[in-house]
Amino acid sequence: MNLSQLINHDLILLDVTADTKDSVIETLAAQLKQTGALHDIEAFKEAIFARENQGHTGIGFGVAIPHGKSDAVSTPRVAFARTVSDVTWDEQSGERAQLIFMIAVPESQAGNEHLKILQMLAVKLIDDSFRAKLLSATSKEGVYALLTEE
Amino acid sequence: MKLLAVTACPTGIAHTYIAAEKLKKTAADLGITIKVETRGSIGVENEITPEEIMEADGVIIAADKDVEKERFRGKRVLECSVADAIHKTESLIKRFQDGEVPVYKDKTEKADAAIPAEGKELKQESKVKRYLYRDLMNGVSFMIPFVVIGGLLIAISIGLGGVPTDKGFVIPEHSLWKTINDIGTVGFQFMVPILAGFIAMSIADRPGLAPGMIGGYIAANGSFYGSAAGAGFIGGIVAGFIAGYIAKGLKALKVPKMIQPIMPILVIPLLTSLAVSLIFIYIIGAPISALMEALTHFLNTMQGASKIVLALILGAMITFDMGGPINKVAFLFGAAMIGQGNPYIMGPIATAICIPPLGMGLATLLNKRKYYPEEQEAGKAALAMGLVGITEGAIPFASRDPLRVIPSIMAGGMVGSVISMLGHVGDSVPHGGPIVMLFSAIHNIPMFIIGIIAGVLVTAFMVNALKKPVSDQQ
Repeated sequence: MNLSQLINHDLILLDVTADTKDSVIETLAAQLKQTGALHDIEAFKEAIFARENQGHTGIGFGVAIPHGKSDAVSTPRVAFARTVSDVTWDEQSGERAQLIFMIAVPESQAGNEHLKILQMLAVKLIDDSFRAKLLSATSKEGVYALLTEE
Repeated sequence: MKLLAVTACPTGIAHTYIAAEKLKKTAADLGITIKVETRGSIGVENEITPEEIMEADGVIIAADKDVEKERFRGKRVLECSVADAIHKTESLIKRFQDGEVPVYKDKTEKADAAIPAEGKELKQESKVKRYLYRDLMNGVSFMIPFVVIGGLLIAISIGLGGVPTDKGFVIPEHSLWKTINDIGTVGFQFMVPILAGFIAMSIADRPGLAPGMIGGYIAANGSFYGSAAGAGFIGGIVAGFIAGYIAKGLKALKVPKMIQPIMPILVIPLLTSLAVSLIFIYIIGAPISALMEALTHFLNTMQGASKIVLALILGAMITFDMGGPINKVAFLFGAAMIGQGNPYIMGPIATAICIPPLGMGLATLLNKRKYYPEEQEAGKAALAMGLVGITEGAIPFASRDPLRVIPSIMAGGMVGSVISMLGHVGDSVPHGGPIVMLFSAIHNIPMFIIGIIAGVLVTAFMVNALKKPVSDQQ
């Protein structure tokens, strides 16, 4: 059981030039749509922004995990973007993010397996050296290997 | 030192676990043992046992949703947001090391603390405020559609079908407008019960809903306690909080296993409904009719006094509770004066009547950032209600944020009322708002309009100066 069930090379975007939080979200959502993870991209983005409004999803150290649980999602997926320079994730606290994981989860999901996987991802992200490797990886393949290693 | 923690976030996908991980890591760095219970979409994991609670030196609750705290009674409990647990982990744990964290008290004491009477610690107080705000907000957001539907239907039927008489605007019986007006009235009748019911539900979950609605209904209907007017939306808020905390208190009772299944659907709602209703009828209700009598008497004695003082008092009374008992007294006083051939009391009252909804409506247009989307919609409806003199249009705003909104609408109402009084504005129909002008019931229309505009501007600018942007409110 690992992240390979939820992410693939198409869902890893490096050197993203977006310079605002909204455009990063747009980019990642569009990518999820393209890989067939979403029925309805607008409804999904609504869920994402609704969650951000409840409290932004930055977790510090340049990482943000916007996530939407919605009927608009057909299969659970994770998309990852590394931006060229970090973007402001929260106006108020001035928190910035460069490593952004967008999580799409269907509203009703039998089985919790994918949630377990996301939990593992969260745990990994707390680790300083893991983040350093993510930042310095030079290819999609490298990032994929990092994310899917046990 | 041994700590426990509970993490929970609204969607329960990511931050519940990140906070948990960050807490574990930081605690390990500081040489502290910690066990973290996570409450995410998967359900409860790593659940804390009673033995662990016994042994623990403190508990961190990092949650953006409700977490059962009763089991931590008597422990040092620190509540914070999930974000704080992620970003300020170290300082949270340090607060336990420095012995700064207060001991969590039992439920019933906390219920009393909802009215911050004792000189409690500041942080405790701000937490109580946060809960009060959350419960109010829940009630208000369910109430808004009822206010909007009721207010707009009544506004339309009065505007298009109303005929001014010395008893106010009357809509002819057996007309379509009368039927529409009746439908709108139904919306208004639900307003206070819904407000009270969903405040109670926010406090005590489902068992609070029915008692809150029943208590709210009684609050809004003075006939239960021999009063000419109900207790209005303020009474509804009071009923909602009473019902909520009684139900919450009953939920915390330890009962034999056999009774447990019927507690939430039978025992708690039944006992709470009885309690809140009886409290309202015998303890809160009776003083309301006495208060109304006293105010009526007071206004009668004011007749000879300074006109400006009288106008200030009337403006404040009309706007204070918007359809509640104090508003009613002032309104009936003005109507009685018309009957005695003096329309110059009703003039200032008619001015003040429309200022809360028009002022709040304008305020939402002037600064959108300070209002939730649903409030912006309610603001537009309030403008329509204001034009036909339905003061209730401002109730959603006043219920959600009474301490900022009520003073602002009172200030506007007082300004408008005084200008009308000085301008010798008369109104020979017991009704308020610009609509009265259409029926040539107003003497000195220019000053009436100036009074309304001045009052509306005062309300709108004052409330926007006092309010913070929505994003800062949480």
